[in-house]
Amino acid sequence: MPNNQPLNKLLLRHDTWRGRNPSLRKHVVATGNNSLDKLLLGGWPVSALTELVSQQDGIGELSILLPTLKHYTGEGKLCVWLDPPYQPYAPALVNAEIPLDKLLVVRSKDSREWLWAAEQSIRGNALLFAWTNRAQPRYAALRKLQLAATENLSPVFLFTSLAALNAHSPALLRIELESLKPNILSVTMHKLRGKVPGAKIQISLGDIITERTFLDRLPVNIHYPQEKESDYPLPLKHKVQQLNT
Amino acid sequence: MKKHTVKNIEQKKEIWLYIDFPLLALDAALADIENIKAESTIAVASVQKNVQRIVCCNSYAQAWGVDSDLSLSTALAICPDLLVLPRSLSQENLLLHRLALIAYQFSPVVIINDSGIWLDLSGCDQLFHGYSKLLQRLHRQILRLSVTVTTGIAMSPLAAQLLCGQQFQYYLPNEDEIHRNLMTTELFKLPGNQKQQNNFKQLGLENIGDLLALPRSALSQRFSAELLETLALLNGEKPCTFTRFTPPVEFSDEIQIPHGLYSKDSLLFSMKTLLQRFCVYLMARQSHCRKFVWHFEPLLGECQSMPINLSASNNNWSSLLTLSRLQLERLELPQSIEKISLFSDQFIDMPELSFDLFADQIALNNQASTLMDNLYARLGIDALSQPSMSEEHLPEKASSMSPPHRAKNTNYPTSKAPQPLWLLTNPVRIQQRNHQLHWKQPLTIVSGPERLCGNSWQTEQQRDYYLACDSKGARYWLFRESMNKQWFVHGLFS
Repeated sequence: MPNNQPLNKLLLRHDTWRGRNPSLRKHVVATGNNSLDKLLLGGWPVSALTELVSQQDGIGELSILLPTLKHYTGEGKLCVWLDPPYQPYAPALVNAEIPLDKLLVVRSKDSREWLWAAEQSIRGNALLFAWTNRAQPRYAALRKLQLAATENLSPVFLFTSLAALNAHSPALLRIELESLKPNILSVTMHKLRGKVPGAKIQISLGDIITERTFLDRLPVNIHYPQEKESDYPLPLKHKVQQLNT
Repeated sequence: MKKHTVKNIEQKKEIWLYIDFPLLALDAALADIENIKAESTIAVASVQKNVQRIVCCNSYAQAWGVDSDLSLSTALAICPDLLVLPRSLSQENLLLHRLALIAYQFSPVVIINDSGIWLDLSGCDQLFHGYSKLLQRLHRQILRLSVTVTTGIAMSPLAAQLLCGQQFQYYLPNEDEIHRNLMTTELFKLPGNQKQQNNFKQLGLENIGDLLALPRSALSQRFSAELLETLALLNGEKPCTFTRFTPPVEFSDEIQIPHGLYSKDSLLFSMKTLLQRFCVYLMARQSHCRKFVWHFEPLLGECQSMPINLSASNNNWSSLLTLSRLQLERLELPQSIEKISLFSDQFIDMPELSFDLFADQIALNNQASTLMDNLYARLGIDALSQPSMSEEHLPEKASSMSPPHRAKNTNYPTSKAPQPLWLLTNPVRIQQRNHQLHWKQPLTIVSGPERLCGNSWQTEQQRDYYLACDSKGARYWLFRESMNKQWFVHGLFS
């Protein structure tokens, strides 16, 4: 008779994932976007590390997390931004209904401090947004964060560069963010337990074009110089288009 | 026959506990001394009338025949291996105040005597669910300071002192028992001069019962008024007018390490002891601490200070030790530390504990405060900041980074126009190439402008803000200054 005891012990572990486990979908928090929720089997995985691989800054990589940030800070949870690439702009955060006193920006001096601060923040039950500006953390460091995340009751977000796509990672979720059109974010799912990688969706970041568009008075060209005008269906006024052509 | 009814003294108004420390001089002398063998014969000596005399000694020395008031030379002749320590009245006083702080957690009325402490326990049983539990907890707390202790309980402070036994009492005696014990107490224990004691002997009075049996008028004729006053205090007829103990307004304590400490890890044990004393002080004051300062003093060289700021109030010694340890890692200390001291004078009153339906919020706030303190202790205050908002028009003035907990009110009206999540601390001037804006790569204006005016009465600044994007879809916040027509990038729409 086979001895199933070691296997049973293994299955009882918190960090052991079982395929086709329906309970997996319970440990998620909604992203605020239905398409993204569908792609991620319900939302951002809670108590786990999520890697967001962004081609460059400014494409909307932070905007897709604003509903999650609003949800957790609204509950009174502290959100730690570890080594963000730029200074957060307070009026924009206030517009997004994020309480500023629940945001804490932490700057580390080296990768050792970065890892310590990240682990402390996760173990301190904070919502962590960490940027890897120096170098891609090693697998052991990420494993440490993933283990710490299992004790946290919120997701842990790691913003990495394209180089991270070639590295192994213990993160439960890894998505790539790309923007081919302004205001439209392309999300490619590279890794998620329970789903075949490669799925891709496009999500809108909301209409941010203002009504007061007096571009005809500008001394600069409003069209991109390369032959990609068709990629930019900007809601320009008829007169403006005429002037520029 | 008069019927005796046993009344529990709990019904009485006053219940006094006297805690005596018969070996206070020895306990104080041994407080900061380590590496003494358990079975050593130890005594404390001081100069009395130009002669070194034993003040008190431990039980091992007593077994050799050493006793108090013995001259030092005689004591050493009896017990050659006797370890003699000098008496330090200041250390005794310090120890007595530490003990009073502990006692203050159990009763609001604490009075310090020469070598003991009085506590008025009346009504204190409510908080501790009975006098027995109170006394047990009090004893446990006192034993942490490694002192020898005996107690007496009665209805007046003086009676409690006279009834002090040989051990710590865990139960409250009834009124009859106290009365019986008091009546049989020998008269030599009663405070007074030698002449008074001689008078007692001449009259054939042996115990307090004999004295109290005499009519007061007879006593007033034979003895001084002081004795009558003493008897009034003994019976509780006269209220106690001794000065009550109150915790000092600031905390300061130190530990001397004569042999020196050479590593940071070895400092932690002494720091833990000091923090435990500090937390006893905080408990007694019913306060929380906001800031405390460590001082590490080498034998030679300058003293090193290490202030610890707390984001929220705290009076838990283990978390204070964790913070101290984290900050200690960043500190460069001299080679050997001879003295560690702890000082604090910044406190806030302990908030009243109340039932809260949303206890999760309190837990979250505590977790956030602990996390901030840990990050601050390890990374330094410069590493932490919070975005804050001001009522200014120019973005770089409207948004700034402040030290934690100094973020200003955010109830300012904000623009409805799109605003970036990232702001460049200093706007970066961008070029125009063939009428095309260029920053790292060509940019295209998507929308705008939104006109922002600075403090026009100070400097004339008028900016038109635009939203631009590059070929990869990254969106930027640009502005053009109306005066010099120059373009700048000021933010990124992340």
